[in-house]
Amino acid sequence: MRLTIDGVACEAEAGEFVKAVAERAGITIPSICHHSALPGLAACRLCLVEATPAGKRTEVVTSCVYPVSEGLQVVTMSERIQRLRRTVLKLLICRAPAAEGRLAEYCQEYGVQNNFTPPDPDEKCILCGLCVKACEELGPAAIATVMRGVDKQIQSAFAEAPTDCIGCSSCAKVCPTGKISCTDDGESRVIWGKRFHLEKCPVCGRPFATSEELAWLTHRQVGESLDLTLCPSCRAQQAAKQSVRG
Amino acid sequence: MVEKTEAEQIQEIIQHYPGQRRHALAAMQDMQHCFNYLPRAGLVALAEHMHCPLVQLYSMATFYKALSLKPKGRHIIKVCDGTACHIKGSMSMIDGVQRHLKISPGDVSADGQFSVETVNCLGTCALAPVLLVDEKHFGKVTLGQLPQVIDSYKPGGGNDG
Repeated sequence: MRLTIDGVACEAEAGEFVKAVAERAGITIPSICHHSALPGLAACRLCLVEATPAGKRTEVVTSCVYPVSEGLQVVTMSERIQRLRRTVLKLLICRAPAAEGRLAEYCQEYGVQNNFTPPDPDEKCILCGLCVKACEELGPAAIATVMRGVDKQIQSAFAEAPTDCIGCSSCAKVCPTGKISCTDDGESRVIWGKRFHLEKCPVCGRPFATSEELAWLTHRQVGESLDLTLCPSCRAQQAAKQSVRG
Repeated sequence: MVEKTEAEQIQEIIQHYPGQRRHALAAMQDMQHCFNYLPRAGLVALAEHMHCPLVQLYSMATFYKALSLKPKGRHIIKVCDGTACHIKGSMSMIDGVQRHLKISPGDVSADGQFSVETVNCLGTCALAPVLLVDEKHFGKVTLGQLPQVIDSYKPGGGNDG
């Protein structure tokens, strides 16, 4: 399948999305809620582009979930797109003025200032739901969006320390705005108000995972051939040694 | 006749549905209807039956206005505060209900008989200002009639039962 992104001819497989194809061609499209290992959410609305499918009208679409088609023409940066992204950034920075990471950089890049009075000046969350997706895909789905409208937030069931959380910290790792707090002190980890014991690697001695996470991986039979008692880097070293010997 | 325990009632509702997540909302509506709210034990049992994470049911329960995690009163008074009712003085109607039952919208009266809610439109604007008690509409209500309407739902009143 052939398409054109910013005048560059690109090859793509059916079912791929415009943002992924553009990135392969070295064209970056701004986004906050996207993680290459997770499906697109189209939540942050920053990856807007102009797309013209062959023989059809141009429309503004979110490139992270817009499928490629034969002869598709994409423009990732135009006056119109820039204007729309500025509006999106204004709304995001008003909601989450304390957000860490890319949001502030984009605001600077697009010359956006927060002209509104934010409802909560300490808010970091843009409610993109990337953490919820990560927990669904990798963990037990211990968090979700609760309530709605202005009260909407990411929470665990009954807003209590979640009983099913395995403390893998995937939610905190993917969070693009630094909202989810996760503290490791070498012995234990605290996340979502729950304390977990950290297991140490018998080879290098570094704490690398919670007991619950290892039990979960064993239960889900993720990598049956893996030695889950070792940390990922020691495991890689062991595998490398074995393949040299083998 | 022996009264069924809450746990038995919960099981009865849940077992009515196949163990698939798409039936969760229907089961939660039944539970709301049965208990006037969603007991925590009900959500936990439902999550187990539907093989779905508890937080996802909690998410639905907090999203829909028709579902409540706090017990509601035996009778639910909905005071319409849509545009037409608002113009026709629904604000003083809300005050009137508040004065009579000594509770604010969203609360339950001390005797557990009444819940008061405001709603955005009941779709019967010609009857403004409108009051909905349980399933019954009261149109063109005046502040003077209000105590009479509410009292008819108290135990022993004409509409109680």
